[in-house]
Amino acid sequence: MSDNREQFVIVGANYRPHLPERKAPSFRHKLKGKPILSIAILSIIVLGCIFAEQVYNHDPTGFYLQNLSEAPNAQFYFGTDSLGRDIFSMIWYGGRASILIGLLSMAISTGIGVVYGCISGTAKARVDAVMMRVPELINSIPIILLVLLLTSVMGKQNILKISLVIGVTGWCALARIVRSEVRQIRSSEYVLAAHCMGGSFLHIMRRHLIPNFVSTIMFVVVSSISLSMSMESTLSFLGLGLPVDVISWGSMLSLANKALLSNTWWVIIIPGLFLIITLVCITNIAYFFRRETNKLESIL
Amino acid sequence: MNQKARITNKIIRRALGFILTIFILSVGVFYIARLAPGDPLQSYYGDAVESMTTVELDAARVRLGLDGPIYLQYSKWISNALQGDFGLSLKYKTPALKVVSPLIGNTLILGGTAYILVFGLATLLALFCAMNEDTLMDRIICKVGTAAYYIPPFWLGVVLVLIFSINLQWLPSSGAYDIGKSGDILNRLRHMVLPLVVMILSHLWYYAYMIRNKLLDEIRKDYVLLAKSKGCHKGEIVLKHCFRNVAPTIVSIMAISIPHVLSGTYIAESVFNYPGIGALAVVSAKYHDYNLLMLVVLITGILVVSTSIIAQSINEVIDPRMKLREVPACRIIESSSS
Repeated sequence: MSDNREQFVIVGANYRPHLPERKAPSFRHKLKGKPILSIAILSIIVLGCIFAEQVYNHDPTGFYLQNLSEAPNAQFYFGTDSLGRDIFSMIWYGGRASILIGLLSMAISTGIGVVYGCISGTAKARVDAVMMRVPELINSIPIILLVLLLTSVMGKQNILKISLVIGVTGWCALARIVRSEVRQIRSSEYVLAAHCMGGSFLHIMRRHLIPNFVSTIMFVVVSSISLSMSMESTLSFLGLGLPVDVISWGSMLSLANKALLSNTWWVIIIPGLFLIITLVCITNIAYFFRRETNKLESIL
Repeated sequence: MNQKARITNKIIRRALGFILTIFILSVGVFYIARLAPGDPLQSYYGDAVESMTTVELDAARVRLGLDGPIYLQYSKWISNALQGDFGLSLKYKTPALKVVSPLIGNTLILGGTAYILVFGLATLLALFCAMNEDTLMDRIICKVGTAAYYIPPFWLGVVLVLIFSINLQWLPSSGAYDIGKSGDILNRLRHMVLPLVVMILSHLWYYAYMIRNKLLDEIRKDYVLLAKSKGCHKGEIVLKHCFRNVAPTIVSIMAISIPHVLSGTYIAESVFNYPGIGALAVVSAKYHDYNLLMLVVLITGILVVSTSIIAQSINEVIDPRMKLREVPACRIIESSSS
């Protein structure tokens, strides 16, 4: 018996279920596909603007009358403009105004666009048709013309006014996207239930509608920051934006025409480069959001 | 309903829509302009206002159509406008129409050339990118194009002037023609090069990307597989089959893009001091010359709305499917851009 028993071999005695080794995703892996470079550059610029007092080496509002239109040198890193102001200091100081305008007008246009889109999306078909005519009408004239009209009505500009003008003219595309998203979810059960329980419009919008389309509109919202900043600088260049004494990247570029006459390239190129780098970084981040939403959609 | 009645019906409906749009636009613009804090009398007479008596001021208000409640002012203005009288330009002291009319042609030449070039090049670029999807070339073009789209056009213009007019002295930096050479076509072309380059660079990629995405959607359809299995060449499939199906979309995009391209024209005009209505709009906004500004806005509105109606009609001719589903073109753009 005993020798017989030895012939039995337990099959698979050393069997262990194969578990793939689960490593916590490494830091590098997490960062993959994310716009790290853009975020890094953008945060350097934003931090530099926030802590402008520590960064700059001259008074950004001061006029150095002995050093008018000086090329970049050891004392003035980026040179001085035709009024004798230090461009290096102005860039960090003026970035605050530019970024603030971008954020403010983004907030205004997002606010209007989301509320308008939600109202239009939940309204009856006829009201909706009339409401959607408004953005179409606004889009039928060039935005720059509308902005010109509003800025000329507003009188002397300041940061708040200019963001208001840019925000008020920039909500149309967002409202359309929000509306078409709301149309798709407005008759779903949870919205109806919230409605039956007496939830107010604002409550439904905040709790049920916005969470559903927030990822879709993220791209438009983020890229509206860069569009607003670009519009601000355009307006300032045309002489309708911020006055020269309120420093922003746009108002620095409003001296570009004068700089052309004296052929001082640094007055034109350097603030413009800062503006463009910021815009491209913001756009890259916006594109990242878009890719994220597309991924989600394809899984569903 | 027979065919003829349906077409007349459609034409009437389009015309009514056109008139309604322009009417609402004019009301909106008029109210905004009249809400302005600055006194139009101040900008018309300058400092002389302070030395005028109240009687004189009232008389001046009546003459400029500034008396009475705002809806009466509007009805007076619109009835004058229908007869071709858009009021005096407050800055130039001449009828606004007279200031604007010689400049419209310049703007149309610049804007039209840019429009054709932008869409011609955008289509070519999109075809190229779609045929070489996800190759290195395609990716480089995508990256560069996106970055170029976010360069503010005015800055690009200033930099080009700095390089080509001031340092290299190849091209003139401003105006539409040199003094006394208004008939010289070559001279006009030389003045148009820089504004055109700015407008093409700042619009090209936006539209090329849209068309590229539309083409890529089209390439993934079943009939492409059929054509491929029949042994058609890649270029033949894209050009003969896919591109034809995308063509109506391109026309819709072209219709919607008119305000966008016009805005670019206006900015380019004011950067290069090109005598067009865009540069005029900037000047009149600076000097609070509302009569002139209103006229520019109205002309632009008429231009845009009428061209978009034309584009819609063209679309129906080349794509019979469009008649059945009345998809507003704006939605096509949304689905391709987002």
